[in-house]
Amino acid sequence: MRKFVTVFTVLGLLFMVSVLSGGNVSAQDVTPDHVDSSSALVKGLHTFWQYTGFSNVTSGNLIMIVVGLFFIFLAIRFNYEPLLLVPIGTGILLGNIPFVEGFQIGIYEEGSVLNYLYFGVLKGIYPPLIFLGIGAMTDFSSLISNPRLMLLGAAAQLGVFGTFVGAMAMGFEIHEAGAISIIGGADGPTAIFSSSKLAPHLIGSIAIAAYSYMALVPVIQPPIIRLMTTKKERLIKMKPPRAVSKTEKILFPLIGLLLTLFISPTALPLLGMLFFGNLMKECGVTERLAETARTKLIDIITILLGLTVGASTQASVFLTSQSIKIFVLGAASFIIATAGGLLFAKIMNLFLRKENKINPMIGAAGVSAVPDSARVVQHEGLKNDPSNHLLMHAMAPNVSGVIGSAVAAGMMLSFLM
Amino acid sequence: MIHFLDVVNWSRIWVITIVGYSVVFTALVLLIFVFRLMPKLLNLHLKRRLKKEGKIVEADAGEEQYIAGEVNAAIALALSLYFNEMHDEESNIITIKRVERRYSPWSSKIYNLNNILPPRR
Repeated sequence: MRKFVTVFTVLGLLFMVSVLSGGNVSAQDVTPDHVDSSSALVKGLHTFWQYTGFSNVTSGNLIMIVVGLFFIFLAIRFNYEPLLLVPIGTGILLGNIPFVEGFQIGIYEEGSVLNYLYFGVLKGIYPPLIFLGIGAMTDFSSLISNPRLMLLGAAAQLGVFGTFVGAMAMGFEIHEAGAISIIGGADGPTAIFSSSKLAPHLIGSIAIAAYSYMALVPVIQPPIIRLMTTKKERLIKMKPPRAVSKTEKILFPLIGLLLTLFISPTALPLLGMLFFGNLMKECGVTERLAETARTKLIDIITILLGLTVGASTQASVFLTSQSIKIFVLGAASFIIATAGGLLFAKIMNLFLRKENKINPMIGAAGVSAVPDSARVVQHEGLKNDPSNHLLMHAMAPNVSGVIGSAVAAGMMLSFLM
Repeated sequence: MIHFLDVVNWSRIWVITIVGYSVVFTALVLLIFVFRLMPKLLNLHLKRRLKKEGKIVEADAGEEQYIAGEVNAAIALALSLYFNEMHDEESNIITIKRVERRYSPWSSKIYNLNNILPPRR
C-alpha cells in the first residue's frame, strides 16, 4: 500500500512540475531531452505518465465520457431502451479513453480489436442480422388482419423525406443528407446500414441520434399525439382484429419479400433478412433457427453493434458542428414522422364508415421504433379510456413502418449510390 | 447560406423526395391489395373443398372471424390454468432407487480441506 501511494505521489508531483513549467504533457512529444531528471526511475515514471489517459485527456473526451455516463444512467434509472443504451454508453466510454496513437488500440486504428468489430458496422453487416432477429420475433398477424393500416407506416415515412430536404437546406452534401434522412424512419439498423453506404464518416453521429431519439420516443411522442388529436378521437374504439390463418402468416413473408424487393432491390439485405426471419418463425418447421435468430444471434449483434457504434464517437471525430446539426435534424424528423402518421390517420377517417373508424393515435406508431411507439399509443389510449386497448392495432402501422423505412432507405440508396 | 441554397440542385432533391415517397406508398399499397385479396382466395379454396366433401357451406362466415379481445383473454386464461394444473405422467410405482456412489478423488474425504490444514492449537 505504501509503495502504491509513493508511486502515485511521484506521478502527481511530475504532473504538477510539467504543468507549472508550462511543458506539453502529450505523449507524442516525449523525447529524452524534455525529461529533466537523469534518474532512470523518474524517466520511466515520466514515460509511463505520458502514456496514461490523464496525460492525454482533452475536454472533448471528458464531455463524451459524461454523455456516455448519461446514457447508462438513462438506461438504468429510467429503463429507456437499456439493451441499446448500456452497450452504446459503454462504447462511448471506451471510445473516449485517451490513449497514444500507434498501438492498435483505437477504433479507427487499423488492426485494433475494436476496428475489427467496427468492420461489421462499416460494411453494413450487423443491421441485416438485427433485421433477421426482428423478423423472427415479430408477429405480423395484426398487420395481415387489417392491411389498410399499412398506409400509416407509409405515411410516417414523411419524416425520412422531410429530413432529406431539411438536411439539404442545412448545407449537407447530398449523400450525407440521404444518410441523415433515414433517422426519420426511427429505425436504428436501417439508419446505420444506409449511412455505412452513403456517408460512413457520419455513422457515429447518425446512429447516436437515431438511438437516442428512439429511446426518447415515450417523451417525444405523447405531446405531439395530444396536440394533434381531439379527446373524442382519442376515445375511438377499434374493431378487434380478425383471427389470421397459418397459411396467411406463412404467405406474408414470401409475398412481402418478393413484392417489396422487386420494387426496391437495394433494400435486399434488410428486407430479405426481415422476411426470412419471419418465415423461419411462421413456417413451423425451423423453430430452432427462429429461436436462435430472435434470442442469441440478435443479442450478440446488439452487443457488438451498440459497443462499436458507441466507440465510434471519439471526441475528435464526433464533436463537430455537423453532429449538432444531425441531432437537430433527428429531433425534427421524429416530430415530422409522428405528425405525418397522425395526420394520415385523420384523413383516412374521413373516408371510413363509422363502425370502421380508426383511432388516429395509432398513426403515431407508423414510425418504426418497434415496439416502443406502439406501447406509447397503448399507454395514451389507456389514459383516455382504461378499457381501450390499442396495442394490437398500433402494432400494424409499427411493423409496416419497419418495412416502409427499409424501402425508403432502399430508394435513397438507389438514387444516391 | 443563401448562396449555398442557390447552388443546390433543388429539382433533383424534389424528384428524389416525391418519387421516393411515392414508391414507399406504392410498395405498401400493393401489399395491402394482396393481403385484402388473400383471405378471399383462401376462403374460396376452402369452400370448394367443403362442397366437394359434401359438407354444408355457410353463406358468409366473414363476420364470425372477428373474436373480441375479452373472448381471447378468457380462452388464454382457461388454457393457462389447464396447462398449469396438469401433472407429469407418472409410473405410479413408488420405490426408492439406490443411489450409486462411485469413488472419485474429487469428492473424496481424504482430500478434504480439514485434512490438509495443520491442526488447530
